[in-house]
Amino acid sequence: MSAAASEPSSGPASNRGRGLLAAVAGLGRAALDFARELGALALFFARILARLVPPRFDRDELLRAGERFGWQSAPIVAVTALFTGGIMVMQSLPYVDQLQAMRLLPWAASFATLREVGPVLIGLMFSGRVGSNNTAELGTMVVTEQVDALRLLAIDPFQLLVAPRFLAMVVMMVALTILGDAFAVLGAMLTASAMAGMEMFQFVMLMREQITLSDLASGLVKAGFFGASIAVVSCYFGLRAQGGAVGVGRAVNASVVGSAVGIVVLDGLVTVVMGGG
Amino acid sequence: MIGPVLRRAWREVRELTALVLRASALLLAMRLRRAVFVRQAYEVGYRSVSFLAITMGFIGMIMVLQSGYQAARLIGDYSLLGPAFIQLLVREFAPTIGAMMLATRVGAGIAAELGSMAVTEQLDALRLTGTDPVEELVVPRLAACAVMVPALIVLAGAFSELAGLLTARLVFEVPYAVFWDLRLLTYGDVIVGAAKAVVFGLVIPLVSAHAGLGAQRGSEGVGLATTRAVINTSMSIIFLDFVLNVVLYPVYAR
Repeated sequence: MSAAASEPSSGPASNRGRGLLAAVAGLGRAALDFARELGALALFFARILARLVPPRFDRDELLRAGERFGWQSAPIVAVTALFTGGIMVMQSLPYVDQLQAMRLLPWAASFATLREVGPVLIGLMFSGRVGSNNTAELGTMVVTEQVDALRLLAIDPFQLLVAPRFLAMVVMMVALTILGDAFAVLGAMLTASAMAGMEMFQFVMLMREQITLSDLASGLVKAGFFGASIAVVSCYFGLRAQGGAVGVGRAVNASVVGSAVGIVVLDGLVTVVMGGG
Repeated sequence: MIGPVLRRAWREVRELTALVLRASALLLAMRLRRAVFVRQAYEVGYRSVSFLAITMGFIGMIMVLQSGYQAARLIGDYSLLGPAFIQLLVREFAPTIGAMMLATRVGAGIAAELGSMAVTEQLDALRLTGTDPVEELVVPRLAACAVMVPALIVLAGAFSELAGLLTARLVFEVPYAVFWDLRLLTYGDVIVGAAKAVVFGLVIPLVSAHAGLGAQRGSEGVGLATTRAVINTSMSIIFLDFVLNVVLYPVYAR
């Protein structure tokens, strides 16, 4: 029986007397674990870079992985983006309505979508679909000792599997964000015409005046960073999986959580560095 | 191409509906394993706090940065930054982005756990001993999430607001009192945010438990089930958010 079904109930507060000390120790342990994980990820990233410059990786796998990642996630990205566009229109509608500035609606809805909400949500979906799939696949290869078999044959798993997938994820994440942006604008247009009675043609014309290329580009730059972090995190946790099916499940879980943290942290850093430009 | 997809989607919906009805019937009959419930509440609630603090803190910081830059460029006045931020946070971003984050943390966890039990035939073992896996495993997780997810979403909003407050003070030199201004926030916003939090608290455990229970074929199956849990949960959240926004529009738009 698993831990969930049988109950060795040792709650968090079983040691009340030394609660404060335990809390401090726990905090320290968490910080050390975090630092260790971060260092391991940095080393992992360095090993990927060493295969990319100069390029020594499997080109067939790059194309295969790119095609697979794209097909896997294009439908869910499109659907997510369509609804996101609609949601952003409905959230900005009360403001433009109140200000009696209906012509600002395309700006209000698509500015945040293109720059921020779109890339973040598409990144989360991409991590859920492609990143976790990648972790599951690599994890299964590890626990069934296929990766060891590769090493025995003197094949570097980084050249064959990790580096090409890294590149494929960065490229596909940017491509999918372009697709997602298009669907988000479509969703915004449809919602604006249904809820605010704005002609779709008018929506596009206003958007062309109000949205600049740098809004689009800023979102795409972020998407590239998100793709890189999803690739590093998902390959890292996949190759570290151990202990059969349970271990693979745990690795996938760690991978999606790590990718989500990576996405928001990188988003923050990029936003600070670009400073609204 | 379309036919099989639709058939599969229809089967998913049917199975999910059956699970929803069965789990809610058991929950309403108070057939709840208390010990498992408490453990799951700890697992879902307490263990997600630091993850939410990091992710939602950054989200709050980013949103204030982005809107601050725009406010500086367009109107040169930050007085509306705080009021509009907390309004959007309450009725949209804390529930939706918070729930998306919890879908990855909690949903994937539930699916990985139940999926591992499914492929190692522990579910069959449960059925053999006359225990209903839905009652034993799904209902406690549903109850735990129904209580904990709304609480976590309130926390998520608090983390974002706090990060936003600090960002506005440090980057744009907006005094705390100017940023912390609730004049735009209405009861409508709070009702909409709370409704979303409650709905997402039910969606996350049910959709991911369904994905986990359906896991097949060894370690690969567990991975696939976990993937499906994250995707299905996130898509359900976005879709339901859209629906709730349409339905509740009169409530928050005044």
